[in-house]
Amino acid sequence: MFVFIIRYFGFLKFVPGLALLFDAQLKLWTLIANPNLLDWIDDIEKEVLTWPGTTVTNHKYGGLQFNYHGKELGHIHSNGLLDMLLSRKIKQQLMQQDRRVQDHHSFKNSGWISVYLKYHDDKHLAIELFEHACKLHADKALNN
Amino acid sequence: MINSIKPLYKGYIVSNLVALAITGFSKYILAPNFWANGATPIIYSEFVIIPFLMGIILSWYLRHTDASSRKLTGYACMNAWIAVVLSFIFLGEGIICLIIVSPLLMSFVILGAFAGKAMFRRNNQTLNASIFAMLFVMFIVDSLSVHHYENKVADTIVINAPPAEVWKYVVAYKRIESPSKYWLFRIGMPSPVQSTADGYYLGAKRKCIFSNGYVFDEKIVTYEENKDLTFDITNQPRDPEIMGHIDILRGQFLLKDNHDGTTTLTGNSWYRLYVFPVWYYDIWAESVTRNVHLRVMEHIKQLAETK
Repeated sequence: MFVFIIRYFGFLKFVPGLALLFDAQLKLWTLIANPNLLDWIDDIEKEVLTWPGTTVTNHKYGGLQFNYHGKELGHIHSNGLLDMLLSRKIKQQLMQQDRRVQDHHSFKNSGWISVYLKYHDDKHLAIELFEHACKLHADKALNN
Repeated sequence: MINSIKPLYKGYIVSNLVALAITGFSKYILAPNFWANGATPIIYSEFVIIPFLMGIILSWYLRHTDASSRKLTGYACMNAWIAVVLSFIFLGEGIICLIIVSPLLMSFVILGAFAGKAMFRRNNQTLNASIFAMLFVMFIVDSLSVHHYENKVADTIVINAPPAEVWKYVVAYKRIESPSKYWLFRIGMPSPVQSTADGYYLGAKRKCIFSNGYVFDEKIVTYEENKDLTFDITNQPRDPEIMGHIDILRGQFLLKDNHDGTTTLTGNSWYRLYVFPVWYYDIWAESVTRNVHLRVMEHIKQLAETK
């Protein structure tokens, strides 16, 4: 259903507020279908916010965005879809290491990855990925 | 006394009281046509801005409780549900209407609750004041704007019978006995079951009878035998599901001879909506109207094709 809506009605995300409304509906659906997921997202938020330089904001297309010194690390939509921007090389490595790491649901030929958080263990994977992304951003900042 | 009430209950009470006060203010003071004819539209602000504000108010009361996302979503749904129940009790809204409106209300209360959570976590008074000012301006502008929306829904089916045979059942038809397939009809929304007419001529009175006994009074305004039957709705039932939400203005059946023993039957309906935003309610209005058409037209098809 989510993929269908993104594929055929994704252009509507440019209507101000509509993506946020859609994310609120995803929250409602998640509350019914997999309420633990909302707790896991909270747990990820709490953990990531303990790291220096991290903040959370609302993602412009709905969901919770994690930042490192103001730059986006990734975001989690309220149906548990984690999207994260890495390099294509790292993306390939991660996809080979863990089958849960997939091509981004929209941008296939890019460094973006998607992970569908469904089970409790997926929470740990998400935290590891954010940790990885944080290190990459920190290394990049040091090199610059 | 008030200090002994839990923050959550304060959130429910205050947000619903604020919603009630703003709705009353909008309906009885701001609505430009209220004093003229009493047909006050229920506007965008009442379905979007007020629920959003209800969510923010709820979050304000929960700002020191560290409520998890799961709990906040649940509380927001409960808040919307309380508003729905209060609308049923005090505003006399119909159950089907409330089922239709619930997803919209819940979504905006959830959206408001999480927006409020982010606002109060940041605790930037300038930002908070700006958001409330923006909501207030949107509300005033929307309340003072003219709201007028009319639409037409058209549906077509092919009947394996000539126009003269179909025409017999277009003007009036006997009671529909088959169960309805449309989910809203199945859960209790009235569906059309019979149509009667004083006669087969221009100006004749026609009645469309619904499953709950409600009757739409109609008058035939175009009568072209085997081609065009158009009727105006002269009186519609005072059903809480309809009153103040939608007016059915006109109905029409057009018959086209396909010259192969079949007839293309087109059903058209014109209606005016009194509930906004249109992008939400017109989806429902079109769906209901379409299913009213199809129920009647499939019945006509069955009657005309039965030898």
